[in-house]
Amino acid sequence: MTTDVLLPAEGTVPGAAVAVPVPATPRERLARLGRFLRGRPGLVVSIVFVALVLVAAFVPSVLAPGDPTLGVPADKLQAPGLGHVLGTDYLGRDVYTRVVHGASLSLQATVIAVAVALVVGGLIGLLAGFVGRWVDETLMRFVDVLLAIPAILLSLALITALGFGTVKVAIAVGIASVANFARVMRAETLRVRRSTYVEAARSVGTRWYVTLRRHVLPNAAGPVLVLAVLEFGLAILAVSSLSFLGYGAPPPAPEWGSLVAEGRNYLATAWWLCAMPGFAIAATVLSVNRISRALDGEWARFS
Amino acid sequence: MRRGWTVAALATTAALTLSACGSGGGADPAADAGPPRPGGTLTFAVSSDQGCADPQQVTSNDSVYSVRQLVDSLTDQDPATGAITPWLATSFEPNADATAYDFTLRPGVTFSDGTKLDANAVKANFDRVPALGARASLPKGYLSGYQGTTVTSPTTFTVRFGKPNAQFLQATSTHSLGILSPASAAKTDDQRCAGVIGSGPFVLESYVKDQATVLTKRTGYNWGSSLFTHPGEAYLDRAEFRVVPESGVRTGSLQAGEIDAVASIGPQDEAPLSGAGIALPARANPGLPFGITFNQATPLGSDPAVREAVSLGINRPEVVGAVFTSQTKPATSVLASSTPSFADNAALLGFDAARAGTVLDAAGWTAGPDGIRVKNGQKLTLPITFANNLSTVKPALELIQQQLRAVGIDAQLQEKQISDTPQIQQSGQYTALWANLTRADPDILRSSFWSGGTNYYRFKPGPLDALLTGQAAAVDPAKRAASVAQAQKLILTEHFTVPVVELTTTLGIAPTTHDVAFDASSRIQLHDTWKSE
Repeated sequence: MTTDVLLPAEGTVPGAAVAVPVPATPRERLARLGRFLRGRPGLVVSIVFVALVLVAAFVPSVLAPGDPTLGVPADKLQAPGLGHVLGTDYLGRDVYTRVVHGASLSLQATVIAVAVALVVGGLIGLLAGFVGRWVDETLMRFVDVLLAIPAILLSLALITALGFGTVKVAIAVGIASVANFARVMRAETLRVRRSTYVEAARSVGTRWYVTLRRHVLPNAAGPVLVLAVLEFGLAILAVSSLSFLGYGAPPPAPEWGSLVAEGRNYLATAWWLCAMPGFAIAATVLSVNRISRALDGEWARFS
Repeated sequence: MRRGWTVAALATTAALTLSACGSGGGADPAADAGPPRPGGTLTFAVSSDQGCADPQQVTSNDSVYSVRQLVDSLTDQDPATGAITPWLATSFEPNADATAYDFTLRPGVTFSDGTKLDANAVKANFDRVPALGARASLPKGYLSGYQGTTVTSPTTFTVRFGKPNAQFLQATSTHSLGILSPASAAKTDDQRCAGVIGSGPFVLESYVKDQATVLTKRTGYNWGSSLFTHPGEAYLDRAEFRVVPESGVRTGSLQAGEIDAVASIGPQDEAPLSGAGIALPARANPGLPFGITFNQATPLGSDPAVREAVSLGINRPEVVGAVFTSQTKPATSVLASSTPSFADNAALLGFDAARAGTVLDAAGWTAGPDGIRVKNGQKLTLPITFANNLSTVKPALELIQQQLRAVGIDAQLQEKQISDTPQIQQSGQYTALWANLTRADPDILRSSFWSGGTNYYRFKPGPLDALLTGQAAAVDPAKRAASVAQAQKLILTEHFTVPVVELTTTLGIAPTTHDVAFDASSRIQLHDTWKSE
């Protein structure tokens, strides 16, 4: 349907954002990076925050040595202070420790979700764009159907079929965002497929799957990878929403979404139960968004 | 088209104006309430919905609160003394061995569809109960051994049982044996869940699953229980029960004057609510306290060492102090302390982590590398199934989970919907269940622990059966109490169930709402409730 509209003029440099040559010494490149970051304090904060979240996800004990599931009922519902930086919850568990340890579950789910969406969506898009004809038609109508169903509704339906748990939530969120990846991947593949070097490769008799792997995929992947970073933020939100609704890991696992859900009943008396994990979710999503914007050509345009 | 829009806009404006007036008036605290006055709408927020509007098929308190108002019972039970008093039946008399009960009905009672409530209507109800499905475990248990009802005149009948059934008289006072119109009783289980017709002080106006139950006053109602404080119709015009799952929203709405009453408040809400002048009446629910009951057909549930260790590993006062309202008490027997024939067995329900460890060691459950005990390569992982129908359930279970981990038991919490509970119990797809059951009669033990009944917990026949059927047959109250005491002791020494905390119903009642009365089962009776303003 949209095939011809997306066609670029013959001879355009493929993947302009990715393949800009920067003939510079490492020293010059570092200086350029320094200038780039100096003008963008928001980006620096985002990178630092995402780095911290990644540390929390892989080695949470470095940031919070305590046990996230062990509470001291005598210390319950203490406000943020010196003993407990972010306060304690209704069983006297340290909120900071729970948020830090929650990062690993929430990010694990997010990574799986984005990976599922990237791989499945990417393959569908690649196949549709490269083979064309009825394969394209069939796959894209399937993608249209996926796009027509609201993502959260689709995830909920899948959860009902798959059952509860972190990995299942991740798969449900991933499948719900397959369509976006398929669309972008297909558009890129269509563009690259018509370029001269691909046609040249075909004309000298390169096998179709070699062409696909060596020429089409690397040149079409750039925008999809940027989309993956962007989707990462949305997936954190979707995973947290589902875990808020109680579909994630069983208690007492501290997923960010379920932490917010647990705090709801104490909103009037202990605001920090909802606010702290909520802040973690919001800050991570915003940071990832900022980074994906930087990746999406901001660096390439910077001189 | 345009005309339609105008009408709709006018209607919306009117509705907005009305609701604005309503909330403005409701927020005023009445210093002196004065005498009861009729009229007004009571808005009551509950946390869950069992998915059924048939009093004979609901067990969850949140659903009982509303559907109880639709039906009258043959008798009523005095919450203060436990005595059975007249309601629809003006007189009731068991025979010498409690196998037959004679009832005489009050004349002139009608259902809200106009049909007469006579002996044949009661017979139609009782004849239908044994054929009800899994949801109706309560009335089916009450009528166990039911042989039939003999109608001797429009107002007199005899209910006959194949074996002695001493608990039946109390059962007739419960919502589970509330009398439905013969037309409603004849419908299928699911049709009945969509709404039934009764003779009660309120009529079902609408029921939307998981949203709201709306009741309106039955005009001409004149056959209230002998325990009601005024004769005639109910004071309230309407009663609206809204399902509001978040306890924070419930208490917030109550403080803001949006709603008039809430059920089940958490300890964190006590101070803000009483500070806002909201009354917090509380009453311990009789029956089985909240606790963990094992499925005897599973390997872990049938392992006495595991059951004993779970009981010893739970620090009940800590759970109660951390999670429940200040009026709540830890369980001291398999029956709650407000149940008739309750026997204090606090000594059997102590916390002793060291002894729990010894018991598990002796049974071959040795501590593994991560602290969780292992036997024959099998980790001691105990799945506990629960329904999150009260805001206190999950925090309590998380604390119990933490306490059990300290003795090397890995408790896994599995959340299910309250409406799925009967199916889960019937299918046996669980290892341990977190539940309670409210009834103001010790026969509740037979409903849950008798191998010859519905037997949801898969008991094998044993010495407990004789005690449970013995108390059901005992006409002499002293003899009955003795059997019940023995049964409580046996259940606790075998740890078939691990009682933890007595459910205490704490209501929050706005200052403008008066006389929301607890019945003997700690549910509510709205006939005498009225609103000032």
